[in-house]
Amino acid sequence: MSSTTGMAAAARRRYWLDLALVLWPSFLASCFASLLFFAVVDPMLLRDAGPKLFANLDREAGYALGFFFFWVVGAVASGLSVYLIRTARNSAGPPEREPGA
Amino acid sequence: MSTAKAVPLPNPESATPFYAAAAKIYPREISGRFSQLRRVAVLVLLGVFYGLAWVQWDGHQALLFDLPARKFHIFGLTLWPQDFLYLALLLIIAALSLFFFTALAGRLWCGYACPQTVWTELFVWIEQWTEGTRLHRMKLDRGPWTAEKLLRKSAKQLLWLALAAFTGFTFVGYFIPIRTLGPQIVAFSLGGWAGFWIVLYALATYGNAGFLREQVCKYMCPYARFQSAMFDKDTLIISYDEARGEPRGARRRGSDPRAQGLGDCIDCTLCVQVCPTGIDIRHGLQYECIACGACVDACDGVMDKMGTARGLIRYTTEQALQGARTRVLRPRMLVYATLLASATAVLLYSLFTRTPLILDVIRDRNALYRDVQGGRIENSYTLKVINLDGKAHSYRLTVQGMSGLQLMTPDGLIVVPPGSVSNIPARLAAPGDLAGGVHPIKLSLTAVDQPRIAVHEQTRFIGPSP
Repeated sequence: MSSTTGMAAAARRRYWLDLALVLWPSFLASCFASLLFFAVVDPMLLRDAGPKLFANLDREAGYALGFFFFWVVGAVASGLSVYLIRTARNSAGPPEREPGA
Repeated sequence: MSTAKAVPLPNPESATPFYAAAAKIYPREISGRFSQLRRVAVLVLLGVFYGLAWVQWDGHQALLFDLPARKFHIFGLTLWPQDFLYLALLLIIAALSLFFFTALAGRLWCGYACPQTVWTELFVWIEQWTEGTRLHRMKLDRGPWTAEKLLRKSAKQLLWLALAAFTGFTFVGYFIPIRTLGPQIVAFSLGGWAGFWIVLYALATYGNAGFLREQVCKYMCPYARFQSAMFDKDTLIISYDEARGEPRGARRRGSDPRAQGLGDCIDCTLCVQVCPTGIDIRHGLQYECIACGACVDACDGVMDKMGTARGLIRYTTEQALQGARTRVLRPRMLVYATLLASATAVLLYSLFTRTPLILDVIRDRNALYRDVQGGRIENSYTLKVINLDGKAHSYRLTVQGMSGLQLMTPDGLIVVPPGSVSNIPARLAAPGDLAGGVHPIKLSLTAVDQPRIAVHEQTRFIGPSP
């Protein structure tokens, strides 16, 4: 393997791992947030209080929408964190070996 | 043993860049005490998961988280959003149990009970059944696409997909009654969201147990990273006895290792080959180690064959390895145990003393009071009666707190079906000469058949200003 294709492969791998670092923790946080939020709040109440846009949604759709909403919010936060770490001038870059190994 | 020397495995000690593609791990099949224990744990846990969904209780599914109706059925108990306290307590208890067992015996959860471990084990069984042993699988992957390879690979994929689909179906069956879910799928009348969650959960099972496997533990699991905070020198860990094993090296069976300047480790690398996360336990405790005990089983087998004592790799503690005594009762354990016991006690107490009845009293918003026949003053209320119990009850309403106060309606018993809300209009009246001003009163609701089920609610009776 030449070094350029090796670097391309590493960049591809890095892209996918960064994506996982964004999507996975926000998924966990969203599960937790949905559990707590919908244990207390009935999505039907939100429909009645919210804009006409949600008027035809049933409760199950409300749960799903809420879950994805929390996921997106979490992903934005994770994404910003990863972006700030990667673009910092003093960033050490990817660690040479896995932490703890 | 000595033929299995050259093992093509990723060496965790070499400077593997974080972004290098993960090499596929072919865990070697193993039998022994701990794999036996895990087999039992896997079968029991999967049996509970796949079986419990079909158990009926009092005419409904024994365990059903009815999200559309916002009610949880747990055997004889029905929980409502009002019972949020129990959910919070349950989460606290789960977290404390994890702390307690981690401090006591290390990563028991990872090795035996984590869904990731349990389903991976199941998927690996299928893989071994369709593609053969570790060496067969490695040969098959290296070889060209023959008819046999195609057959074995597609058989594995088909079985994996079928199992994943059934897992997704069972999972959703805990939220939508599973006995109606099956016919709905057959009749193609499944609601969109139910179908979506089945497919999503099936894909998650397939991806996690079929492909990601140890990478979930290595890269995705937060517990793997923070469990070390609960570890101390008295925690049970899987450890290689370096003092006994080193210097490692091959030797003839029956020869005296000490005479050759060798320790007990014959460097057969079986402990590495069986490891599902692909680490070498001889490099010490690593966060990738899920404490499954496969290396212990492998090494014990080798020690038996070599005629040396078992336990070169064993469950032990750092204290014991250093020759000190392991302390089970230590401050950390006592703190975790006390917190765990108190949270559990609170949960049990509140569950057993829970009153399955809620009464909300709402005063009529239109008029403070009304003058009625005979110079009497009347107030109107709406009673919101919620029967949280699994069966219907008749309740008797009584009023206290003011002389001359009488209940006009309802004049009979209030009957509320199981798990339902009834809105009951109520009227109270008092003689005009006694009714002036604001009077705090108390409404009581008591189940006729079970006087233990009773609630009291404060409200006010208002008359003309004196």
